[in-house]
Amino acid sequence: MDIRFTPEQDAWREEVRDFLDAELPPEKAFDVEFDEDEALWEFSHAFTKKVGAKGWLGLNWPTEYGGLGRPPIDRMIMSEEFEAREAPLSGSIGWGLTAGSLLAGGTEEQKQHWLPKLGRMDLHVAEGLSEPAAGSDLASLTTTAKRDGEHWVISGEKTYTTWGTHADWLFTAARSDLTASRHRGITMFLVPLDLPGVSMSPMLNLGGGRQNHTFLDDVRVPHEYMIGEEGGGWHMIMNAFYGGGIHAGHAYYERAFAAVLEHCKQTRRGDGLLIDDPIVRQQLGQLALIAEQLKMLTYESVSNFNNQKPPSFGGAIGVVVSKEARPRFFELCNRIVGPLCQLQEGRFAPMRGQVEAWYRHSYANHAGGTSQVKRMVLATRGLGLPR
Amino acid sequence: MIDLEFSEQQQLLQHTARNFFAAQCPIAKVRSLETSDLGYSDELWKSMAKLDWVGLSYPTELGGAAGSILDLYVLYAEMGRCLAPTPHLASSVIAGETILRGGSEAQRGRLIPEMSRGDLIVAPALTESDGAYGADAVQLVAQADGENGYRLEGAKILVPYAHVAGQLLVAARTGSGPDGVTLFLIEPGAKGVDVEKLGNIANYPLFAVTFDGVAVSRDAIVGPVGAGWATLEPVLDRASVLQCAEIVGAGEAVLDIAVNYAQQREQFGQPVGKFQAVQYLCSDIAIDLHLTSLLARQAAWRLDAGLPHAREVALAKAQASESAQHMVRQAHEVQAGHGFMMETDLQLYTRRAKHWEFNLGDVHHHLDAAVAAL
Repeated sequence: MDIRFTPEQDAWREEVRDFLDAELPPEKAFDVEFDEDEALWEFSHAFTKKVGAKGWLGLNWPTEYGGLGRPPIDRMIMSEEFEAREAPLSGSIGWGLTAGSLLAGGTEEQKQHWLPKLGRMDLHVAEGLSEPAAGSDLASLTTTAKRDGEHWVISGEKTYTTWGTHADWLFTAARSDLTASRHRGITMFLVPLDLPGVSMSPMLNLGGGRQNHTFLDDVRVPHEYMIGEEGGGWHMIMNAFYGGGIHAGHAYYERAFAAVLEHCKQTRRGDGLLIDDPIVRQQLGQLALIAEQLKMLTYESVSNFNNQKPPSFGGAIGVVVSKEARPRFFELCNRIVGPLCQLQEGRFAPMRGQVEAWYRHSYANHAGGTSQVKRMVLATRGLGLPR
Repeated sequence: MIDLEFSEQQQLLQHTARNFFAAQCPIAKVRSLETSDLGYSDELWKSMAKLDWVGLSYPTELGGAAGSILDLYVLYAEMGRCLAPTPHLASSVIAGETILRGGSEAQRGRLIPEMSRGDLIVAPALTESDGAYGADAVQLVAQADGENGYRLEGAKILVPYAHVAGQLLVAARTGSGPDGVTLFLIEPGAKGVDVEKLGNIANYPLFAVTFDGVAVSRDAIVGPVGAGWATLEPVLDRASVLQCAEIVGAGEAVLDIAVNYAQQREQFGQPVGKFQAVQYLCSDIAIDLHLTSLLARQAAWRLDAGLPHAREVALAKAQASESAQHMVRQAHEVQAGHGFMMETDLQLYTRRAKHWEFNLGDVHHHLDAAVAAL
């Protein structure tokens, strides 16, 4: 048992910090999920390209696909540092989900073609999996893809398309075989968003970001944009979701905790500082506990990878805990700050309104399936309860 | 290197201990010991001593096995799994390690080898009638009495294994503030000491010990006068982590009980474990014990590595106290009326979990301690 970083890993962390010192002015830090400011987005694109140019977007990928072949812990360390500064890394559907799918089930030719491009952020990819009637039950999707010579004709409606208006490609799933079983007939595609027949309408979310309805109306997609094998989509998505790089989600909570703690050290209510209020201290203790739980779950996935152990409890425990922790964590932040937690801006808003925003953001905890679905996975695959 | 796995030796210890307790301490024995006069089995205790487990963390020259906290963690998880009733946490860890740290060479040489062999139990007497935990809670008065000693006046409660202890390790107040606590070794049979059994939910051997002007000589002091809490505190950190480990082991057993029941019990024409509401309850137990295990292993490792650990220990015990209560509550929902019957095993865990939840600081204490450590 060991929970220390090696000198090489410490040096890598320093390298990441130096990069962020040089390339990320604090005022350009923002959450790419919930901010539509054009100037910030312009910065985000340029910043992400710089990260890509260093090879860091594909840090763990094999070198023959433009990656650096580094171990997952290095990606985790990088993620800790990026989260700690709210670095606006965009395009995760491309270098994360699409690349993860390709690595899980792409042909050799596809990997050679797409991965270097994704690693450089030459393509900005939006997510096009969910449909109005296929959310957690993604396998019930009804968008169809019909082969027509060297093209596929794709028709259907996608929903929740995050970053749709910032991206130029859509990573999407369509039913290519209507006679196959529901898991077997799904094929993945990368669809250029400027093709005829693609349109979007906005869905504004509670967090302040824009998502989209995406309409695919007989869109003719070249066969070479198919990802993976025909009918192999389900396998790829599942393995991309569960087998992607190790994200240091805990660092998001550590950053929020540090800000709330500082607020409590400086803010008076009644006769004393918040930090001396016994109830506030209990709530701060609970926040620290949640952040620590999430950190240890992240570290456990690193450890399991190193030891070639399967993920604990069917791979579901980490997602269940983090999905359920998010709203609870920010409710606690609200209670600590008190009624002023409603304020968004202006001189009375504590912490520049961050607590108000974090709370709204906290309901964006359903990407990749709800905690309830993950609990079913935990119970059946992890504990052996009947389906 | 991030590696949360136990070493090969620790896995071997885990395997040996699991088999040992399964054979030597089956649940029927736990039930019969609970209502016996002693409340534990001296035979089991001596068998553990033969395996070097009683003095597992003591130096080899004093009869120990020089084990780490993580080694003890492994042992405690197995004791928790089968609810082995032993004075290990009270005597081997809290009293023994305090004597090792604070005691004179003479005290160590006289007591530790005997403790390692399982021949001497030393019972720590820390808590007082308000149930508070910490240096401030030590109010029992030790008044200097001439050149040679002190007189103790006051009472301790929740003193484990006082009925079979050869010595009590008593925290008493010799001055004000955190530097005013001194530790004394006192024989339970000494004049003015009274030991009274306390009926409790877990049928633990817990006692109230009153000190009515008890005379103690200076050579019975462990460590410097006034340094009692400073000696005790690092030991209590170690003990807290081991209490977490015991909860983890018990949690694994509780999870097994709940999952087995949910798989076998049929209602409305299907195993109840097919209902998502029941699956939720079972997954709660898994989450509770898994988070406790992760946080407690981290704390144990930091203790062994000699790194700062106040925050990690506090968070681990806060999690463990919360989990101890929550996992048995969820298991009772799974087993429903069946789990309420004394014939089922769940209640054995339920009653002990209440002791563990509060032992060595409850969730409120440790959440506050975690914030204080920031």
